[in-house]
Amino acid sequence: MKFLLILLALLLPSAALAQNQVALNSEVFVERAVRNADGTSRVALETPGVVTPGDPLVFVLRYRNNGSAPAADFVVTNPIPDSVSFTGSESAGAVYSVDGGRSWGTLAQLSVRNADGSSRPAALADVTHVRWRLASAIPAGAEGELRFRGVVK
Amino acid sequence: MKTILRYGATASLLAFVAGTASPAFAAGTPAGSTITNNVSVAYQVGGVSQTGLSASNSFTVDRKVNFTVAEDGNATTVVSPGQLAAVTSFVVTNTSNAPLDFGLAATNRSGGTAAHGGTDNFDVSNLRIYADTNNDGDYDPGTDVLITYLDQIAADASARVFVVADVPLGRSTNDVAGVRLTGTAAEATAAGSQGAVVTQTAGANTAGVDTVFADTVSADGNIARDGIHFDEDDYTILAAALTATKSSRVISDPLNGTTNPKMIPGAVVEYCITVANGSGGAAAANVAISDTLPATTAYEATFGVKVNGTVTGGVCNADGVIVGSHAAGVVSGTIPSIAAGDTRTVLFRVTIN
Repeated sequence: MKFLLILLALLLPSAALAQNQVALNSEVFVERAVRNADGTSRVALETPGVVTPGDPLVFVLRYRNNGSAPAADFVVTNPIPDSVSFTGSESAGAVYSVDGGRSWGTLAQLSVRNADGSSRPAALADVTHVRWRLASAIPAGAEGELRFRGVVK
Repeated sequence: MKTILRYGATASLLAFVAGTASPAFAAGTPAGSTITNNVSVAYQVGGVSQTGLSASNSFTVDRKVNFTVAEDGNATTVVSPGQLAAVTSFVVTNTSNAPLDFGLAATNRSGGTAAHGGTDNFDVSNLRIYADTNNDGDYDPGTDVLITYLDQIAADASARVFVVADVPLGRSTNDVAGVRLTGTAAEATAAGSQGAVVTQTAGANTAGVDTVFADTVSADGNIARDGIHFDEDDYTILAAALTATKSSRVISDPLNGTTNPKMIPGAVVEYCITVANGSGGAAAANVAISDTLPATTAYEATFGVKVNGTVTGGVCNADGVIVGSHAAGVVSGTIPSIAAGDTRTVLFRVTIN
């Protein structure tokens, strides 16, 4: 049954999404230093045109409640792509996983097992998943966004 | 819960597609890889779990062309005047996220301060480039292959090359010749032939893989982001600085004997040829001396030609080994070795006619 559902989801993604009253959208931007006319420079977010290893990325997840009732217990889960090294969340309240989504916590609560069996505190680069659980329900018609950063490996 | 499982499965499937194209190179994600970000959401309405949803987006990683040419080691190559096939070594490292060929060129520096601080004041000749074919770090004539480019250097890989040159005669100690090895990024199109020079994608980003030069600027004159990188090394001369002087003294005459002898016919005169090698230079080997006797003198065969004698306080000692020779009015002898700062002699006697 579970398999059938997965198949259905793959074959009919639009039908499945149409049932949702919440819209979700994922975007990624490249951070670039842009020189202003007065000689100062500022950081601009550009759509990923030319992207090479070492470029800083900003991932923006936008959501909107298109329904007529509040959406509660809103949980957003984002696995970090393999070729991206996580460098931090810009949105408050993030919890992390460093083991592929099995366990979650703040970075201080997590540790990574070394090859020799010992363990060390988890670092930003160890993060495999980032997750936000919104404290309050999203009222009907409301929208918001969550951001995190990474670097192309 | 079932809905979350369903979208979880979809997301991990997408993640798997992205994962196949992204092994972790230190030089970075390979050019052409697609990075896909997947996000999923679960929520409730009125206390009832709703169908989860997911979103994703993707972009392509472009080609970052970056590499270095660097001197292997940090010392000048000490050479003798006239030395053939003097070697300097360099390492070319591809830090791009794609394999590349590298065109190579070796050139003389013209003037200025050379790589190790000396002033460039001469050129070496017959500059050639060899690959370290057997990868032992040393130039091996006959084994290492003459090249003009490096073929198919993988991302993060490096190759050692030798610049080999001939040193001209007539240079003095501490003369310096700077040499430069320049690498130019080329397409790794086919093994066994040098690809076209890499060009940066002009204008706007394209949907495919674009090329961006990322080589860096440096104090030695390398220009940033031009697909070309070079480094320099130098040759420093260590020569022998020989000076020869000749002195004579009267040993005896037929009337006074050895007491206050005078330069009269029949007197015996001793010639001393001293050869000094300046300090701070190289030892001189097989220093051959020949001296033509004055017309009015006759070679003293009983004394012989003493070679490799010493000097004390500017006076020739009566030492040395009788290994020199005389033939047809010419005295000759070969001093085996004169160290830097040392002085050796050739000693012989004649009779005034």
